[in-house]
Amino acid sequence: MELKPIITVNDLHFSYPKRPVLEGIDFTLRRGEVVSLLGPNGCGKSTLIRLILKLINAKRGEIWLNDKTLHRYSHREIAEHIAYIPQYHNVPFNYSVLEMVIMGRVSKLGFFAAPSARDYTIAHEALERVGIADLAARPFGQLSGGQKQMVLLARALTQGVDTFIMDEPVSGLDYGNQIRLLELIVSLSTQGYTFLKTTHYPDHALLVSSRVAVMNHGKIIADGTPEEVITPDMIHDVYGIEADLIVHDTHTRCLPIFNKGTL
Amino acid sequence: MKNIKPISWIIGSTVLLLVVATLSLLWGQYPITLETLIGYLQFKVLGGVGNDTYTLLDNIILQIRLPRVLLAILIGSALATSGAAFQAMFVNPLVSPGILGVLAGASFGAAMGMLISEQWYVVQLLAFAFGFVAVGVAVLIGTMVTNSRSTVMLVLGGVISSALFTSLLSIIKYLADPYSTLPAIVYWLMGSLTMADLHGVLLISIPMLVSVIGMIVLGKYFDLMSLGDEEAKALGINVTMIRLGAIILATLASSLSVVMAGIIGWIGLIIPHIIRMAVGPSHRLLMPLSAIVGGAFLLLADTISRLAFTVEVPIGILTSLIGIPVFIIVLKNARAAWN
Repeated sequence: MELKPIITVNDLHFSYPKRPVLEGIDFTLRRGEVVSLLGPNGCGKSTLIRLILKLINAKRGEIWLNDKTLHRYSHREIAEHIAYIPQYHNVPFNYSVLEMVIMGRVSKLGFFAAPSARDYTIAHEALERVGIADLAARPFGQLSGGQKQMVLLARALTQGVDTFIMDEPVSGLDYGNQIRLLELIVSLSTQGYTFLKTTHYPDHALLVSSRVAVMNHGKIIADGTPEEVITPDMIHDVYGIEADLIVHDTHTRCLPIFNKGTL
Repeated sequence: MKNIKPISWIIGSTVLLLVVATLSLLWGQYPITLETLIGYLQFKVLGGVGNDTYTLLDNIILQIRLPRVLLAILIGSALATSGAAFQAMFVNPLVSPGILGVLAGASFGAAMGMLISEQWYVVQLLAFAFGFVAVGVAVLIGTMVTNSRSTVMLVLGGVISSALFTSLLSIIKYLADPYSTLPAIVYWLMGSLTMADLHGVLLISIPMLVSVIGMIVLGKYFDLMSLGDEEAKALGINVTMIRLGAIILATLASSLSVVMAGIIGWIGLIIPHIIRMAVGPSHRLLMPLSAIVGGAFLLLADTISRLAFTVEVPIGILTSLIGIPVFIIVLKNARAAWN
């Protein structure tokens, strides 16, 4: 049975002055999928995500969110369907973890309303779900990168939506936190959440994705199951390196071939 | 201190404000005792047999001290909330209310008013109008240079606009009569609450309260704005409207403060820092506390300026002299609060 599309992108073009970024993107995100956007630096992955969130506007083509084109949605309405989880970052004011998480509820509040006891319950539950309930009172700025990323994920959970867009979620995280975050994504996807995430790691895409779209030079050059798309030839074409695929346990893994002394 | 409940902070700071206000009403060249003040208030509210002292108090309290107390509270609140709002909006804890040129514009407007007219309302009208013109110029430059509504361009627009109106102010000073108009301009730019009259204060209290309360209401959105435009949009708020609303409200509040009292610096910068150190950065509490403590701070400074020296020191000088060491003290802790 064909899964219901949440986001549909048709013939999307985008360019910065004198620099085309996206050229004719066609892409669909369906309910229940975990889709990885894979590609080298500057290929347009983040731009595509920003367009889908209406943070920038396309020059040509259209984006559909459920049954309406994106330009008919306000940011508040988009936030009722999609939660965005940026890369962890520093904030200029040192909010507590709970204050950061409760920000996910603000667009749902009336103009004069403050967050209610129910909003705080939702925030605490979200922290519980990502396993950092004990950090609620800690200053966000004093957390490790992995903890910060979990806080941003908890904030997305408080929005009460089931579609998450993540921009390179494991970037800057240590080895353990990278794997723990990927496990959490898989766990949430089994609970019905849909994910669209960018990644630099073919191996991570193999581990967590139900589908992989590979981007290069502003185009989607391959789109299919991870095993169909991630091949030694694709790795060579896109990244210019050799790689082997091996099967470990039940997972296909991607191992880059390391050539010593080639310089 | 962060374990104290928000409502306790609000009540505590309000009590502090009321204590300072009461002391400010009592203290002065003609000292009034608390008993006399209470008797006078009972007489005014409940009626009864008046006496000569009450006629004198009508003059001292209603005509002189009360307008000044109210004006100090209003201006302190306006500047502190404007500063806190701009610090969130420009994602920069070192921003003060004058960042978009409102103070430079209003100063120029007032100086021009003094040059071309002897009517005080002309001075006030031009100060108010040019406060908005200067911010308009900053916004225009900020949006003209790039198509984006980037805050960096807006700040640069503000720098240019401030520089422009400061230069124009210099021209006015150069043209002004050095024996009458120039000293009046210079003295007025130092900031003073001596022009307060009850009617005028009550009149401006309406737009000033609207702008202060408006900024307090926007507080919960400022938390999101301080994360940057893209994240705030993705969290579902209308960044353009919130920014426009905050700029209009802060410009209204700051322009009116210049209209009534000239340039009073530092409050918009230091009060939000002090509050952040005590209660943390969440703007839902920071905004109302900035309003209350900002009002109390300026009132206290004004009371000191009336009493401590034989000649009344312009309030703008005193807020700077108090503000600089306070800022140095808070800077160390403030750094920890920003990260």
